[in-house]
Amino acid sequence: MSNFTPLDPASHQNIRVITDRGADYGENIHLVPVVADELRQLVLEYPVCLLKDPNTGQFGMHALLGFEPGNNLFLQAERWQANYIPLHIRRQPFMVAVNGPTGTAATPENTVVTIDMNHPRVTQTGGESLFSEHGEPSEYTRQISSLLAGLIPAVIRTERFVEALVQHQLIEAIQFTVNLADGSKQSFGGLYTINEEALAQLSEQQVMDFHQQGYFQACHLLLASIGNIQKLVILQSQR
Amino acid sequence: MNQAVTSIVIVGGGSAGWITAGTLAAQITKQHGSAIQVTLIESPDVATIGVGEGTWPTMRRTLKNMGIRETDFIRRCQVSFKQGAKFARWTTGTTDDYYYHPLVLPQDFDNSNLVLNWLEQHQHKSFSDSVCYQQALCEQGLAPKLITTAEYDALANYAYHLDAGAFADFVREHCVEQLGVRHILDHVTGIDAATNGDIAALQTANHGKLAGDLFIDCTGFKSLLLGQHYQVPFVSCRDVLFADRALATHVPYPNEQSPIASHTISTAQSAGWIWDIGLPSRRGVGHVFSSAHISEQQAHQELIDYIKPSYSDAESLSVRTIEINPGHRAKFWVNNCVAVGMAAGFLEPLEASALMLIEIAASTIAEQLPATRSSMDVVAKRYNESFDYRWQRIIDFLKLHYLLSQRTDSQFWIDNRASASIPDHLQEMLTLWQHQPPWHSDFDRLQEVFPAASYQYVMYGMGFQTQSPHPLTAASHANANKWFAKNSMQVKQLLASMPSNRELLNKIYQHGLQPV
Repeated sequence: MSNFTPLDPASHQNIRVITDRGADYGENIHLVPVVADELRQLVLEYPVCLLKDPNTGQFGMHALLGFEPGNNLFLQAERWQANYIPLHIRRQPFMVAVNGPTGTAATPENTVVTIDMNHPRVTQTGGESLFSEHGEPSEYTRQISSLLAGLIPAVIRTERFVEALVQHQLIEAIQFTVNLADGSKQSFGGLYTINEEALAQLSEQQVMDFHQQGYFQACHLLLASIGNIQKLVILQSQR
Repeated sequence: MNQAVTSIVIVGGGSAGWITAGTLAAQITKQHGSAIQVTLIESPDVATIGVGEGTWPTMRRTLKNMGIRETDFIRRCQVSFKQGAKFARWTTGTTDDYYYHPLVLPQDFDNSNLVLNWLEQHQHKSFSDSVCYQQALCEQGLAPKLITTAEYDALANYAYHLDAGAFADFVREHCVEQLGVRHILDHVTGIDAATNGDIAALQTANHGKLAGDLFIDCTGFKSLLLGQHYQVPFVSCRDVLFADRALATHVPYPNEQSPIASHTISTAQSAGWIWDIGLPSRRGVGHVFSSAHISEQQAHQELIDYIKPSYSDAESLSVRTIEINPGHRAKFWVNNCVAVGMAAGFLEPLEASALMLIEIAASTIAEQLPATRSSMDVVAKRYNESFDYRWQRIIDFLKLHYLLSQRTDSQFWIDNRASASIPDHLQEMLTLWQHQPPWHSDFDRLQEVFPAASYQYVMYGMGFQTQSPHPLTAASHANANKWFAKNSMQVKQLLASMPSNRELLNKIYQHGLQPV
């Protein structure tokens, strides 16, 4: 169970956070939520797809790290074999909480940084300290705060982008089959990407809007990233 | 005679009128742009009759073809998911007597006919529960899909329960706003005939003459064009299907979040049966009965007795009487006029065939739309032949439910088994099925209304005994056991993963389903 509490010098003076990588820190996962702002970096490493939230059916953007739950193909013991690690991974064990009733949309003004005290990264020894003895935030804490501050508007921008894709019916399902190490074949559903044909049929006005919002670039980065599925297949075959 | 068909006039604005308008307009627009105008005229003050709260799975394609979003339809028309029908007390009449006619086909239905294997080795479990996972979903009130399943896609085949009044309004709005259907509110006061007997135009009270190339009669029981104008005789089937009256009411739920049944419940009574259809905000309950066997007062008492355990104030519910004249017109398409819906005929709603027939009629007219007047007679002939076949098969299938009953507690059930009341075709098929179970080759038409699967579910749900003179091989049993086992496994998986009907609907209200 997570146990998020607002980050505060008095309570978290002696807390330290381990910044190593690995399955011990909950990183052996096959999907990770991402934001459109990091697509440029992500496409060099991961397939990025749209997936439906199992509880709401609403689309979200995720990087694919492997083909089955509990199997991150980029993780080799304590090493994450990639030049870029998604923000959602790097923000652990911190999260932004929203001040207000349930369902309130996050804005830079109504948010507060919290830490999951039950997260395996949280420790008393080793790792990075969060505050100096005078209660000043450490360099590490400043970095995390800035990362989180950037993440909130990025998440909002990503939601708007995905909404635009839904509204213009630009999303289509992708299906592919992978030969797994044990010789079995597994077909994957539930992954979605941009429908290129529909994208090409946007009206002039919509094209202008998409261009101004940066949505066109994002669409093409998403499409390009699908090629990385082949990379995952190779990683899978090396296991 | 080679004049192109460019104007289609639909008379009547109930479910039949609007489904036909939407199906035609969508298909025509896709193929011919605005070359053909679809007009619907309806009287401003004729109340539409609210029948057909249950659909078939065909409705999913019908709506999709019209360009309707399933999310909008579900939010606007009091829709819930229907996964088949539960028939209670039809076989023996005891309180624990029931069987299902689910919408999912039996396991491996393309290749394996599992009936004989089931009869020989598996009768400890009901037929539908042995070969199909859907009964288990229904018994638990579970939905046929997830919030992540795309619009109109299914994990378990499904149809809908809906509010017919809201549905007609909803489809009308779509037809007028999205599909370019011209909507006229006016009375038809007369008909101008052409020399060849065609309808040249309709006279209206306030819009002058309304000319057209093809007229579609959706005027309900009135059958204004086909029945009244063309005097096409009505072929009654009351000698086969005795029910001729219905008492209909709405029953409130105990609270707003009460479970919604995922299937129609049809409970046999002394001289008919009671339908029970769960919509999100209420249940629609009605008693279909034979007035030759019980009085309306008795029928009303049976209805109250049925409702009472779930709603104590049953006596206070307002009840509407609906006359049912079971049968159909001798022809459906005459000259340049075709009747759709109740103007063509009506049968008791035992298998929810009314809306389905409207959908098939509309899509057939749309697909075979005669390009010119000269081709119309050919299309009409074929249309009449295929729809007469469909009506006869529906009558057969409805009769099957009655004649397989073993009930002897009232004259109604005994009369239903009198051989004079059984259609010849049905009697022939039953003779065949004494020794071999229904299979695909027994149903060879392109758009067969009730396939072999439906017959299997009803017949073996009701204890029909097919006795093959030949033994089954070990290989046959091994194959069947594989499918029975697979079915049990799928039941387990689905029961663990599906939300309730109510939960899924709430999620759809809140988030909507995705079109992909």
